[in-house]
Amino acid sequence: MSLIPGATQVFSVDQLSTGCAVIFLAKRVPASPKVFGEAQRLAIGQVLAELADEGWQLSVRAMFDPSVAEPMVFDTGFAHNIDLAGVFEAPSVTAALEGTVRLEAAGWNRRFDTEWLIGPRELSTVKGIGDPVDRPWGFVAFWEWNDARTAASPEERRRNDADCDIAFQADLDANINMTGRHRTDWMHGWQHLSIWEATSPELIDHAMYEHERVLDFRFTTSRHYVGRRRPLADFLATN
Amino acid sequence: MSETIWIHYARPRPHWYDLSDERQTALKAEWSASAERSKSVGAARVGAYHIRGNHDFETVEIWSFPNAEAAYEHWVRLTIAGYNEWFAYANNIGFGPIE
Repeated sequence: MSLIPGATQVFSVDQLSTGCAVIFLAKRVPASPKVFGEAQRLAIGQVLAELADEGWQLSVRAMFDPSVAEPMVFDTGFAHNIDLAGVFEAPSVTAALEGTVRLEAAGWNRRFDTEWLIGPRELSTVKGIGDPVDRPWGFVAFWEWNDARTAASPEERRRNDADCDIAFQADLDANINMTGRHRTDWMHGWQHLSIWEATSPELIDHAMYEHERVLDFRFTTSRHYVGRRRPLADFLATN
Repeated sequence: MSETIWIHYARPRPHWYDLSDERQTALKAEWSASAERSKSVGAARVGAYHIRGNHDFETVEIWSFPNAEAAYEHWVRLTIAGYNEWFAYANNIGFGPIE
């Protein structure tokens, strides 16, 4: 599969992975038990079990620790107009797309209004530096390289990339895990996705100041979601 | 699912208008050649349509591909040819046709 370059000091091109992110931004739909009940909940569970058997990773956590099997998402309702943001990783683009159709058909569409994005992996995961800690907070970042970047010279872009690496290194030094980069531009307006795992929303906010200082957002326009990790099962419960 | 439809919205970025007519024509020819490559491997271009009067973008272009990977590769070839440097865009895909 063809991928674009973009490796830096912090991020390396992932030559080995064929992983493809399945991103879902979902809002719960009020529905009676007749519309979404145990039958749908169990059917979705069955599809998720099949996806796991087919080689899917069903959480951001699993991208760092493949032994994590439980499907998990980020609970974003407290700060956003969506209730949850989740990212799975499928073995291929087609598997990713077909997985979304299977989930919707199993009853997902009765519980959630969902925006699905599909993005092949480009850059590898990078783990934070420091003691092993729980990082229950997720930071889901979409961005595009904007008009200013596309009008800039190659040297200006290289300098900006190098400056941004200073901020990314500071993120790693703050013991933040980063999923690398997935490419979504072929099927969406957002071009790229990266997800972080962090110990707190305050740490994420603090990190943004450094990204602003190095002029990350001069050349990128972005959308950020913050949420706390929760089992997907919590959002599918029917009682 | 036997077909992937690919919907591509586009408008020129501001610095596109600074290019000479000759340079614009040369770039368009390069992107056309890239599109011809996609046709040679099974894609079909339905066409491009004007949409400025009812959308954020200027045109919408619609293609049919044999599968999602082919749509992805089509876009990657265009970006390697620098298309995304000169045009802002938003893309969609759909599976079908639905019976």
